[in-house]
Amino acid sequence: MTGETRELEYDYSRLVVPFGPVHPALKEPVHFKVFVKKEEVVDVGLRLGHVHRGIEALAETRNLVQAMYLVERVCGICSHSHTTCFVGALEEIGRIQPSERALYLRTLVFELERLHSHLLWLGIMAYEIGFDTLFMFAFNTREAVLDLFEEITGNRVHHSMNVIGGVRWDLDGRMVEKVGRSMSKVREAAQRIREIFQDKTVEERLSGVGLLDRGAAQELCTVGPTARGSGLKTDVRKEDPYAAYGALEGSFSIVTRTEGDAYARTEVRIFEIFETINMINEILARLPGGSIRPGETIIRSMNRVPQGEAVSRVEAPRGELLYYVRTDGKGGLRRLKVRTPTLANIVGLRQMLIGGEVADIPVVVASIDPCLSCTNRITVIDLDKGGAGEPLRRRRRKWPH
Amino acid sequence: MGRGLRAAFRALLRKPVRVRYLTEAGEMVPVPERYRGKITYDKGACIGCLLCIRTCPSGAISTTEEKKVEFSVFKCTFCGQCAEICPKKAVKLGSDFELVVYEKEGMVVR
Amino acid sequence: MAALAALLASLPAAVFLSLLFEGIDRKLHARMQGRIGPPVTQPFYDFAKLLNKESVFPSSSSKAIFASAPVIAAASSILAGAIPLASLVAGTSVVGDLILILYLLTMSSIMVMIGGSSSGNPYGAIGFSRKMVMLIGYEVPLLASILPLSLKSQHSFSYHGIVQSQVGMGTCFAFAYPSSAFAAAAFLACIPAAAGVVPFDVPEAKTEIVHGYLVEYGGPHLALARLAKDAASFALSFLALTLFFYHPPLFEGHASLGGLASAILCVAFAPAMMFLTVTVPRTVFARLKVGQAFKFCWSLPLTLSALSVVLSAAGF
Ligand code: SF4
Ligand code: SF4
Repeated sequence: MTGETRELEYDYSRLVVPFGPVHPALKEPVHFKVFVKKEEVVDVGLRLGHVHRGIEALAETRNLVQAMYLVERVCGICSHSHTTCFVGALEEIGRIQPSERALYLRTLVFELERLHSHLLWLGIMAYEIGFDTLFMFAFNTREAVLDLFEEITGNRVHHSMNVIGGVRWDLDGRMVEKVGRSMSKVREAAQRIREIFQDKTVEERLSGVGLLDRGAAQELCTVGPTARGSGLKTDVRKEDPYAAYGALEGSFSIVTRTEGDAYARTEVRIFEIFETINMINEILARLPGGSIRPGETIIRSMNRVPQGEAVSRVEAPRGELLYYVRTDGKGGLRRLKVRTPTLANIVGLRQMLIGGEVADIPVVVASIDPCLSCTNRITVIDLDKGGAGEPLRRRRRKWPH
Repeated sequence: MGRGLRAAFRALLRKPVRVRYLTEAGEMVPVPERYRGKITYDKGACIGCLLCIRTCPSGAISTTEEKKVEFSVFKCTFCGQCAEICPKKAVKLGSDFELVVYEKEGMVVR
Repeated sequence: MAALAALLASLPAAVFLSLLFEGIDRKLHARMQGRIGPPVTQPFYDFAKLLNKESVFPSSSSKAIFASAPVIAAASSILAGAIPLASLVAGTSVVGDLILILYLLTMSSIMVMIGGSSSGNPYGAIGFSRKMVMLIGYEVPLLASILPLSLKSQHSFSYHGIVQSQVGMGTCFAFAYPSSAFAAAAFLACIPAAAGVVPFDVPEAKTEIVHGYLVEYGGPHLALARLAKDAASFALSFLALTLFFYHPPLFEGHASLGGLASAILCVAFAPAMMFLTVTVPRTVFARLKVGQAFKFCWSLPLTLSALSVVLSAAGF
């Protein structure tokens, strides 16, 4: 057989394997340039920006109501996190206090979103390790949550739940019951998924892979389950409670693991599913009465937001999401800055990948639960060379200070 | 392994999961009450206040000569803001989600 | 002459059965995941569709090898499926054809692998090196598990001879001797690796190296490369059934019906074999890594086959 290997033109000692922007394991456009020595990864280069959409600049041309729906579309999975964060900043600038019931409903949808996001992620993880059956099971379970969204808010993905100073959709008794029933079903299914994930074959694939120790996790400013899998006890819901998390503080705890590998991150998310289900049941039990939104039209609320600036943080399913909002006092935006959780986590990838195997690349990349269309917040344009930058240069605006 | 095996065989013996879609021509799958589908517009009720245009995030609404509005469903993102702001409840988001037409004209709601 | 006619007739039959078996496998796989799954005839549509498409040759490939590899691979694994069929029908076989069958199966893997690595794609190159490791992993226990059968059937390496010796014993090898029972277990444990399905599909791991050596293939060449894989899993499950589980009261039927009847019976039962050795593993396992897969092959199946060889040499 040795004679036949001569057909190869490859230098086996150092192959450059491109991962993405189109790759079956990474469904979103990101490009990793992986330097491989035999099966070992020796270096990784990352390139972002393939789907830079200019949402921040676009938002500055819209009024606050329009921008609210625009930021919802930053992400298709944590859409509610984005509006909650944005609306939270507006409410802070305008000193608008939503009613208790509105805050609870906001939290309810928020946690349902975490539930569906984590279930989706478990499915993706299973798919990455070649376990399609588990992928199907996880997605089937997730379907129940999406159906709830459709019932509560009218849309499975973009819920349009928030308005300035409240929420749009109320829950009647029948729906409360239905959510409760769904939750016990989801819990049962999640239990089964958890058991399969704790199987030895799965554990073998995931443990010891993509190591990120506590120090590195802290230094690289990782957030969310990625940080919690490395032993950092960080969660915006506890540290800086927003919506109704302050009142619900006793009904959930922060799940952490100290191993810092892909399996730890998986476990963090699996146990967060159960925490979330508990919290949803708690919310349903404690749902206060009252109105869900201010009596005035949203245009009036919008006009009540004065000139000002605020930073708002929420704990999206993938970690801390941060918005910086500066309003112009005339119902518009001066500046919007979005820092998505994946942007914080993705820098940790290099550390996790180097020294690992090629087989582990998809697993490690998936283990931080990357949401890349959220993350494509930067794009490098060489203005001097013209080219693709030319139309952008014409549209470039001076930032008002 | 045992648990995966058990789950797989349980699925084998059960009916496969299916989400019903259109079954026969003209028959629609029921959607929830709050479902946000294709816009319906009651021109008679509209007073031409244009609040909907002011808040539509995607610029799907435009004015007509007779001081009313029309909706381009292809631009619409189904956020439901127009239905919410309309003081006369002239706009609603219906249950139609089959948005396929041969002529673009068919997707303008007047 | 009759044997040759049977072989010629078996070739299209093997192609048909390979595709049909893939359809059955996909349907059961889907149902175990809670999906409806494609119709059983789907692989035929896929095959026909791919045949009608254009083959693209990457400019970095060495064309002759790239184009001929899947043809040879498909031919050898179809032959590997057709020979057992033909010898059951005709009731004869040549000396040492069992070795030929196993060689053909190996040949088919090697050919696809070489074709993939000649494509000039880094994924193909990684697929090549992984397949190499896997080949070494499963070939040894697979071959070793045949030895006890040969020892127990008067040192015959003829496929039909081994099947007939089960008729002579009145029971099948899987239950006849402890040594052959271990051999059966080793053979079955090797099938997922030899057929290249999850958990052993490392050489073409979709999410890691984008189907590895298949990455640059398209059109008729892809159709043939996939047919080679289907035919290999058909051949393996058919071999496993007839070599180890040819229970005479069940399969021999009435001698008056002849070889054709027992061949048909075997074909009818082979999907059960495939379900156990291909569909179930690929449904309930996650993909292993190359090292883990190799370790598995050299621990469980190799121990089993070594044990069976030792036992059979000792006369058990
Ligand atoms: S639903 Fe939203 S996007 Fe569609 S027309 Fe109304 S306001 Fe515009
Ligand atoms: S908000 Fe209602 S009444 Fe006003 S223009 Fe729009 S549709 Fe007509």
